[in-house]
Amino acid sequence: MSNLDYLKSEHHEFLDAAAEAMADDRLQGILGQLNDSFSQRNRDAWNAFPGSDQAREQARAIKDETLAELDKHLETLERSVMEGGGTVHWAADGEEACDAVLKIARSANAQRVVKSKSMTSEEIHLNQALETAGIETVETDLGEYILQVAGHRPSHIVAPAVHLSATDVASVLSTVSETPLANNRKELTAFARRKLRQSFAAADIGITGVNFAIAETGSIVLISNEGNARLTTSLPRIHIAIMGMEKVIPRLQDLPYFLKVLARAATGQKQSVYASIVTGARRAEEIDGPEEFHLIILDNGRSRILQGPLRESLFCIRCGACLNACPIYRNVGGHAYGGVYAGPIGAVITPLYDGLSENHHLPHASSLCGACQAACPVKIAIPDLLIKLREQLHQEPGQLGFFETAAYRFWARALRSPFAYRIGTWLATRTLGRWKRRSGWLQRLPGKLHGWTQKRDFPAPAPNRFRDWWKHEGRNEP
Amino acid sequence: MNRDEFLTRVAQAARLGNAYRIHVPPRPENVSYVGVQGDLCDAMAREVNAVGGVAKIVSSHAEAREQIAALCKQYSVLSALCWQHPVLNRCELDDLLSRQGVAKHCYDSLVKHDWSQRLQIAREADIGISSVDFAIAETGTLIVCAQPGQERVTSLLPPVHIALVEESQLVPDLLDAIELLRRSDGSLPSNIALITGPSKTGDIELQLTTGVHGPGHWHVVIIRESG
Repeated sequence: MSNLDYLKSEHHEFLDAAAEAMADDRLQGILGQLNDSFSQRNRDAWNAFPGSDQAREQARAIKDETLAELDKHLETLERSVMEGGGTVHWAADGEEACDAVLKIARSANAQRVVKSKSMTSEEIHLNQALETAGIETVETDLGEYILQVAGHRPSHIVAPAVHLSATDVASVLSTVSETPLANNRKELTAFARRKLRQSFAAADIGITGVNFAIAETGSIVLISNEGNARLTTSLPRIHIAIMGMEKVIPRLQDLPYFLKVLARAATGQKQSVYASIVTGARRAEEIDGPEEFHLIILDNGRSRILQGPLRESLFCIRCGACLNACPIYRNVGGHAYGGVYAGPIGAVITPLYDGLSENHHLPHASSLCGACQAACPVKIAIPDLLIKLREQLHQEPGQLGFFETAAYRFWARALRSPFAYRIGTWLATRTLGRWKRRSGWLQRLPGKLHGWTQKRDFPAPAPNRFRDWWKHEGRNEP
Repeated sequence: MNRDEFLTRVAQAARLGNAYRIHVPPRPENVSYVGVQGDLCDAMAREVNAVGGVAKIVSSHAEAREQIAALCKQYSVLSALCWQHPVLNRCELDDLLSRQGVAKHCYDSLVKHDWSQRLQIAREADIGISSVDFAIAETGTLIVCAQPGQERVTSLLPPVHIALVEESQLVPDLLDAIELLRRSDGSLPSNIALITGPSKTGDIELQLTTGVHGPGHWHVVIIRESG
């Protein structure tokens, strides 16, 4: 745990954090393992599922159609939730969402909250808001619980504590146990089970995210492997669910396609262990389950994304498959990205949520190889979205220096004139091309250009121009 | 921001965003149906075992009863949380548990207590015994719907969960199950859980560990209704 700053901080320089991550041997080992297990399982799962392509297209189409009339589906959702006795709260941004939670907590005189993993609540910094208000908040997903005790930020969407070893976890959890814990997964897990059961039993409010919200029935769907989402929606008196507004799907019959692709993409399972379809609070005569149900619908910049060319990023169902597939993520890990969402999809949506110029490195943190799109259960064209962001970035004032602007202008002019082009290529082959004939690579470029050769070599021009080769030999070849 | 302003803004954004739609061509309904080739009971048992559960196919309710008795011995069960359900009745569960000296807790006994007492009893139970509303053979998934007599905690709080599934409760694919979830008035139960395996986590070093929050031991007894 040497690079503690990056484990805890947000919106730092990607390149600095990435360099530190790449020098961390232990982290590199863990990330390699992540690739071997999750990424391979994702590919195997698609191969073993005969209808995978159709299911993914179907899921993608449902998202596309739903977003086209998002306001109508949200109204239907609201009506259905209210008919079932629940309450709907509309939040334009994170602050309003936190306020809505605090208001519910105050009117119920709640002291203790348990949470099951929710990226959306991370996004709005709900835990800080609750703690400032003096409400004890416990994360119950094992990974999130470990991070909460350690004070770290999540490094992966589905395996948030993947950057910690069992030894790290033992020393983290020993700070909240009466006796020191051994470096043993089973014992650590059993300790967390006992400890968190007490929190579940004592909690007044359970807060969850939402994987899918079904408009026609007013249901929310929660996926987990551990079962903490079920406990959070079964034991506390009040259930609050927080959803990004793009999570709505129109009909119950749309759900199976998402359930068929989500777990396969995330972990290679056919189904996650638990999928809960929660429709309001407990009914009369039932003797367990919450007495109140609240749904908070959050915009927080999503309407701005919806109206623009990066709309497709709202299809994301937060499975984490693109992280596991990405050669960049696999080398630098989640903390380097400095946003709530890491990896390829994080490189798209962190700049959209938190500002492009503040996160100007992220659209470039990709080799555009397309592995993310191939792994994605809803086939989001992440490389295209990254290119669009790069375009937007270069249109922002101040992003291009004098040198770069002049270089591009010169380049454009040279390419427009056949004479200048001929002279240019002749010069390049006679000088650099012949000089580097043997290796074919330049190790150091001068001046501002050395940024390129700091991390990799630059291909040298060929020793002969194509037009010369064609004139002398090429045209005679069969 | 109030509701109407919120929705107006979304409506406007959705309209502008139409210029960037993907337009996936229309697909037939029920794409990606997998289903099961051959016997549903066999497929169910295979999948249950594959996800880390223990499946047993029996050919009568009497045999199912023997299985439950054996599991109660295996886990040294003193207290059981049970559904009130026709399948459990057909296995004569009440009689079995009292013979074994196991304290049985179900809706009729729990409803007399207040919430904290109920929770206490549920937390101390050694085993949860339920049936299902449906089960999906293709994935080995149990579907349990909340209603009086079918408590959520039965399949959730005890360290061991046993589900008794009759052959007629099996459907081949998730796509077959989804419309069966609706009640006659079209509404859904307050809570539906699709359960596929014992509680699992990979949060420590990506290694699979069971029983983190829900049951770590997951037994499915499939009752084949022969002839």
